[in-house]
Amino acid sequence: MTFRSLALSNVKGNWRAYGAFFLSSVFSVMIFYIYAAFIYHPDVVSGHILQADKVRSGMTFCLYLIIIFSFMFILYSNSAFLKTRKQEFGLFSLFGMTKKQLRKLVVYENMVIAILAIGMGILLGVLFSKLFFMALGALLDMQESIAFAVPLKAVWLTAGGFFALFLAISLWTVVRMGRSEIIDMLKAARKPKGRLVYSRWLVTLAAACLLSGYAMAYMMDSNSFVVLSLPILVTVVVGTYFLFTQLSVLLIGWIQNRKGIYYGRTNMLIFAQLGYKIRDNARILFVVSILSAVILTAMGTVYIMQIQSREQMLESSPYSLAYVEKGLHSQEVIDQKQLREILKSDGYSISRETKTVGLALEQYHLTFENSSREIGWENWEESSPDLSLFIISATDYNKLAKQQGEPSIQVESGKLTLLYSNNFGTTLGPGRAVGVLNGKRFEMPVADSANVKVANNWIDSNFYTMVMDDLSFVDLISGIPEEEQRVFYGIELKNWEKAAPTVAKLSELVPEAMRGEKDFTRPERFVDMKAETSLILFIGLFISLLFFIAAGSMIYFKLFTELQEDQSQYKGLARIGMTRKEIRRIVVSQIAIVFYVPCAVGIVHALFAMKSLDNMMGSSNWLYSFVVIGAYIVMQTLYFLLASGSYMRSLTRVTAV
Amino acid sequence: MSVLRAQGLGKIYSSKGNVVYKALEDIDLQVEAGEFVGVMGPSGSGKTTLLNLLATIDRPTSGTIEINGVNPVKLIENKLALFRRRELGFVFQDFNLLDTLSIQENIILPLVLEGMKPASILQRLSPIAEMLGISAILNKRTYEVSGGQKQRAAIARAIIHQPSLVLADELTGNLDSKAAKDVMDALKEMNEKLKATVLMVTHDPFSASYCERIVFIKDGKLFSEIRKGGNRQAFFQQILDALSVLGGNFDDVPFARA
Repeated sequence: MTFRSLALSNVKGNWRAYGAFFLSSVFSVMIFYIYAAFIYHPDVVSGHILQADKVRSGMTFCLYLIIIFSFMFILYSNSAFLKTRKQEFGLFSLFGMTKKQLRKLVVYENMVIAILAIGMGILLGVLFSKLFFMALGALLDMQESIAFAVPLKAVWLTAGGFFALFLAISLWTVVRMGRSEIIDMLKAARKPKGRLVYSRWLVTLAAACLLSGYAMAYMMDSNSFVVLSLPILVTVVVGTYFLFTQLSVLLIGWIQNRKGIYYGRTNMLIFAQLGYKIRDNARILFVVSILSAVILTAMGTVYIMQIQSREQMLESSPYSLAYVEKGLHSQEVIDQKQLREILKSDGYSISRETKTVGLALEQYHLTFENSSREIGWENWEESSPDLSLFIISATDYNKLAKQQGEPSIQVESGKLTLLYSNNFGTTLGPGRAVGVLNGKRFEMPVADSANVKVANNWIDSNFYTMVMDDLSFVDLISGIPEEEQRVFYGIELKNWEKAAPTVAKLSELVPEAMRGEKDFTRPERFVDMKAETSLILFIGLFISLLFFIAAGSMIYFKLFTELQEDQSQYKGLARIGMTRKEIRRIVVSQIAIVFYVPCAVGIVHALFAMKSLDNMMGSSNWLYSFVVIGAYIVMQTLYFLLASGSYMRSLTRVTAV
Repeated sequence: MSVLRAQGLGKIYSSKGNVVYKALEDIDLQVEAGEFVGVMGPSGSGKTTLLNLLATIDRPTSGTIEINGVNPVKLIENKLALFRRRELGFVFQDFNLLDTLSIQENIILPLVLEGMKPASILQRLSPIAEMLGISAILNKRTYEVSGGQKQRAAIARAIIHQPSLVLADELTGNLDSKAAKDVMDALKEMNEKLKATVLMVTHDPFSASYCERIVFIKDGKLFSEIRKGGNRQAFFQQILDALSVLGGNFDDVPFARA
């Protein structure tokens, strides 16, 4: 037996412990390779793919993220391995292996794992890269697909980078390997469990930290973000740490004092052992909770942003197709008949539409008594008449509002109401409006602004919309010839989300000079936004998956370090007549708690983060994050089933319960 | 009334290479209710195999066992575990107490698993703890008490659910002579006051001297049987005589204990 073969058989022998670590390493290598393969893909490098540039920089960022994360993960796993194998090392020392040889052995073992993980990761990466490129192509809406290629640069970067990482970490851990006495090493595993204790003070601190952190997150808005975000982060992280190290002990002690629950058959064993399981793994559970919270918050934010942007689009452009014609019967912007024909032939039906007659106030200037906000041009008399305000009657406004489900308004006679929407729900108060109407100076007091929008305002002749009482409006419009009146046309399509190609066709029909009089942008903007967020979600998904698998594998690994201890315990329990079913119940519920508690803590953290996101954006979409959370729970459940199945198998195989 | 009746008990281990090893052969054993029986034999004589068969964690290749009128061999696995839990009590050499539980929780474990009410559990516990002299340490953890106390706690656990038969396996093997004496006194008291039926496997003559009757086995077969006539001292001498006839390797057991 050579030294190398000893290392090899050690890896084989410890496979169950190494397994999860190995798999998550393989996964890191694979993701890293796939991203690198895209970045160094000949088509991307040559600039063949236009959209690739933005994606490339995003992925480069991800590569750094993976390397930093892998560094911490491998470092942690390595030192954890060494700790669990103290006994084995003690035995080797007892047989006369020198410290130097022991270190060499550990480095050899690590290199075996590293080479296997890198090889397998790259192989899987090569296999799955085409699939990844296809998905990316679909998301980027590329016409031609990205060809299958194995860029050597990506291979070398992945192999070299990870090999250096593994080597550096194993050298580092080996140097730090303690010089403990052989007898201590041999006894390492058999230390008594000790009593579960908590400090009253730290429990209070934990509760205070969590509560205050949550309270601050609940109240935080865009104004207090700068002040509160750091305190929230600190209190929640500190609180989570003491939640696992201190509060958990308190909670379990509480259950143990409720004899009715605690003496309920297997409960006694479940909770008694759980206390120790949580205390011994507190740090891991803490890290996993924070990781889960970060993943969920990041993914949830992107997802909610997507929903948010869609809402904002609907709000800023109430109609998917909107334009303003000058003249009551003119069809200069677009021919109505043609428009309808195209819509019909492309299979789009209209869900609601409007034709609203109004007046154009040009060279306008609005000032307010209680606000420094000004709208229009101070020297309005000399300004260019390109943009104008659109004035409609109160009746027309209420018709539009009813169509869109907005509240109707009452207007004061002889005064204007400005439709001015913002996120904060504030209004501008009374003021004055001046401008040019039909070539003449026009002036009227403004009663107030209303926080609502009923017509698309990204239109030259409808830059802002104002509402006038019916009497004044009729009085005013009767003096203006039909060809000087303006008409706002608004058409809302069913399935507008998919209407971008048709809308592009329609835009072609609008003469160059009239482009400013239409707002057909919503379907196109939606497609762009959707593509961008799906891309972020897609790229982020793999990073999240990586975090997730690593988090799970840390728990899994911890479970297996306790396997031996558990085995002897369950063997004893089986002898005194515990049924296999009862043992399964105990084991599975303990694993379930260890798996789901950090998951639940992460979810609660993320929900509060989503709530403050809502506060900041003045929306109420945080419940949508349950889509992301639901997906996370499903994945965690899969992982849990795999882990508990495999744990139960190895437990019963040796115990022969 | 006999609690345990084993007839023609045999156990043959055969490995893949057709190597057949007879661990036990044709053992007849009967234990009456309230009896305190010891099984002795040199290393490798089949003591442990016999105990495993009686403990129903191993199945005989021939013969029948009947514990309290039930043949455990015929029970399915799940029923068998329940049978062990209700009809048998175990005391092991290595105590087999869970270090995540307190002494009290370890003792009441069989009752808790049966789903008994907390109040009646505690009612059962206190007289037994009192008798075994472990009332003061009930709230301690296993690592906080001595080996003798641990073993007395284990006896309490083996007896609290009033099993038909208590099986003890080298229960003094890990104890010093003072603790061993305490533990054997405790077990004897359980046997006398609570009428617990005890079957103990040991190769320590001192511990064996607490029994009423000792069965010797050698090379997997019954060798001889002796009954206690007078006092324990005399019985101890009787055991030593029997062992010298029996021969075999008892080296790993300290003799000078009485």
